[in-house]
Amino acid sequence: MTRRKVGALLAIALFSVGVLVSATASSATTNAVPSWCGPKKIKLGFTDGFGGNSWRLVTTASARAEAKKCPSVTSIDYADGQGNTQKAISDIQGMVAKGVNALVVFPDAGKAMLPALRSSYKAGVVTVPYRVAPGGKAGVDYNVFIDTPFAQAGENWGKWIRRVLPKGGNVLMLSGPKGNSQGVEENQGLHKILDPSGKYKFIGEQPFEVTNWDPALTQKVLSAAIAKYPKIDVIVSDFGPSLVGALPEFTKSGRKIPALATSDGNVLGCFWKKNHVKNPTFKLFTVSTQNDHARLAIDWAVALATGGKKPATTHFPSLNFEDSTTGKPNPVECRPTLPGDIYLSAELPAAVQAKLVKG
Amino acid sequence: MSRGLATVSVATIGLFVLSYVVASSSVTRGTLLTMLPFAAALAIASLGQTLVVMQGGIDLSVAGGFSLYVVILTKYPAGDNARLWPAIGIAFLAAIAAGLVNGWLVGRMRLNPIVATLGTNALLFGAVLWYTAGIPTTTTARLARVGGGTWLGIPSPVYFAVGATALVTVVVKLTPIGRRFEGVGANEVAARTAGLRVRRHQSSAYVWAQILYFLAAAMHAGIVNQPTAYEGNPYLLATVAAVVLGGTSLLGGRGNLVATAVAALFLSQLDQFVLALGVSYATRTLVQAAALAVGVALYTVNWGGLSRRVVGRRPAKVAPT
Repeated sequence: MTRRKVGALLAIALFSVGVLVSATASSATTNAVPSWCGPKKIKLGFTDGFGGNSWRLVTTASARAEAKKCPSVTSIDYADGQGNTQKAISDIQGMVAKGVNALVVFPDAGKAMLPALRSSYKAGVVTVPYRVAPGGKAGVDYNVFIDTPFAQAGENWGKWIRRVLPKGGNVLMLSGPKGNSQGVEENQGLHKILDPSGKYKFIGEQPFEVTNWDPALTQKVLSAAIAKYPKIDVIVSDFGPSLVGALPEFTKSGRKIPALATSDGNVLGCFWKKNHVKNPTFKLFTVSTQNDHARLAIDWAVALATGGKKPATTHFPSLNFEDSTTGKPNPVECRPTLPGDIYLSAELPAAVQAKLVKG
Repeated sequence: MSRGLATVSVATIGLFVLSYVVASSSVTRGTLLTMLPFAAALAIASLGQTLVVMQGGIDLSVAGGFSLYVVILTKYPAGDNARLWPAIGIAFLAAIAAGLVNGWLVGRMRLNPIVATLGTNALLFGAVLWYTAGIPTTTTARLARVGGGTWLGIPSPVYFAVGATALVTVVVKLTPIGRRFEGVGANEVAARTAGLRVRRHQSSAYVWAQILYFLAAAMHAGIVNQPTAYEGNPYLLATVAAVVLGGTSLLGGRGNLVATAVAALFLSQLDQFVLALGVSYATRTLVQAAALAVGVALYTVNWGGLSRRVVGRRPAKVAPT
C-alpha cells in the first residue's frame, strides 16, 4: 500500500469519524435528556393493581415510553396485580427483592397497600405511589404521592356548563360504584362552581347516579332518568365512552341528546360527529382521561433515584381536552379507522395505542 | 296452566299495574323499549338454566360462557360486518365445547354440578381474559342493529325470546325426546329402569343451556354497544332467580319454561320500577332481594300447613273457665 493510499484511507476514516461524531451530537441535541433524568444508573419497577382494560394498557405504555426518555434507566420491570390485592402486595415485595432502585405504584387497593409501600421505602427503594391515595405520609411511608385533584375536573365541567347554559338548568351526574371517592370529589367541584348562581338543579340520586361504570347498567339508569325527568339539560359523567350505548335512549324516547360534560375517548368523539347535527342540543366538552398521570409519577421516581431535577409539582392537573362549542383547546376528535378504545388526549401516538389495544 | 305460570303471571301483571300507579315513568314507551331487550336476553339465558335445573343440576358457568360469547362476537369482527358470521360460528362452537365439558364432568364423571360448573366458569373466564386482556371492543354495526333495532315497533330481541321459548317448550313438552328428557329429571331411577340413557340426557342439558346462553349473549352484545369483558356476571344470579320465580323446583323434574320467560320479564321490570322510584342504590338492591325471597317463599313454604298450625293451635290453648 502506497503512502498516498494510506493517507487517503486515513482521511476517509477521519472524515467518517467526524461525520459520526457530529451525527451523534446532533441526535443528542434533538433527543435531549430531560432534566429529571440524573446521571446515576438505576433499575425501575412499575406495578399496577389492575391492568386489564384499555385505559390501563395505554397508561402502562405511556409510563414505559416516559422511562425510556432517560438513558440512566437500565431496565424497566412491570407487574400486574390483576385486581387481586394480595398479588399486588407480593408484586411490590418481588420488585424490592429483584433489586429495583425506584418503584412506581398504582395502589388500586388504597390503604391496604400502605404496609407494602412502607416496607419498600424502608428498604431504600425510591417509592412513588400515584392516582389512588394510599394514606400514610410522604417521607415516612413513601417518598412522594403524585395525586390528581378530581374536584378540579368537576370545576372544569362546572365552568363549561355555566358558559353553555347561562340561564341555568337541570344537571344529571353519573359515576361508578356508590360512594367512590372520584365521583364524590368531582361532585364537590361541580357544586362549588354551579351552586353560587342558584340556577342549576341537581336531579337524580345524589351525589350521583350509580352506574358501576357498567355500560348495561348505565343504559338502564339513563332510560329511567329520561322517563322520570322531562327536562335534562346537561349530563355529567366521569366515563364518557360508557355513554355511547346509553345516549341513544334519548332518541328512542323522542327527545334530543342534551349537552354532555365528561372525559374523552375516541368512540365518544365519533359518536358526537355522527349525532350532533340531528341533536343541536348535544354539545360536548371533555377533560383529558389522564393517561399521562403515570408519566409525572415516573419523572418523580427517576429524578429522586438518579439524582435528576425534581418536577415542579406533585399534582397532575385535570386538563380540558375537547369543546364542541369553541374548538378550544381542541375541536371534537374522531379517528374512525382506529379502535374506539383509544384516548386521543394521551401523549402516546394514536397509532401506537391502536396497536396496543388490538393486541 | 301450571301453578308456577299462574303465580308469576299474576305477579308480573301486578307489578306493571303497580309501576303504572306508583312510578308511571317506568312504563313509558322509552323505558319499555330499553327494558324489553334486556328482558329478552335474560329470558333466553334463563331457559338454558331451566333445562339444567330440570335435570337436578345448576349451571354456574353461565357468567363465564356468556362473557366469552360476547367478546367473541365483538372482538373477532372488530367492527367489520363481513366477519360477523364467522364470529357467530366460532362462538357457537365454543358454546358446544363448553357445554360438552360441563356435561362430561357432571353426566359422566358424576361430579357435583356446583363444583363442576364453577370450575368450567373459571376456565371460561380464563379464555375471556386470554382473548381480550380484559379490553372491550365496540359491537359491530350489524349486530347492534339486531340487538338495538325494532320490528313493527317491538324490539327485535323480543321476537328471538318468544321464538326460543316456543321452540324449547314444544320440544320438551310435545316430542318424545322432550318427554324422555323431563322424565329423567323427574325420577332418575325410574328412568333408568325404563331403559332411558340417564347420563346422556343429563349431559345434553348443559350443551343446550350453553347454546341458549350463546343466543342470549348475541342479543346482549347488540343491545349494549360497548360491552365489557365481564357482561355475563349479572346473569348468574338473575337466571337462577328467574328459574326459581318461574316455579321450577331446584330438585329437578318438571320445568316451567314459559313461566321462566315471564319471570325474566318480571325481574327486568322490577329493575326499571325501582330505578324509576328514584330511591337510593341501597334500597334498590334491598327491594330486589326481597322480591326474590318472597318468590322463593311462595313455592317452598307449605302455607296450608303453616296456617293450619297457627290457626289450629289457638282453640286448644283456651282454658275452660
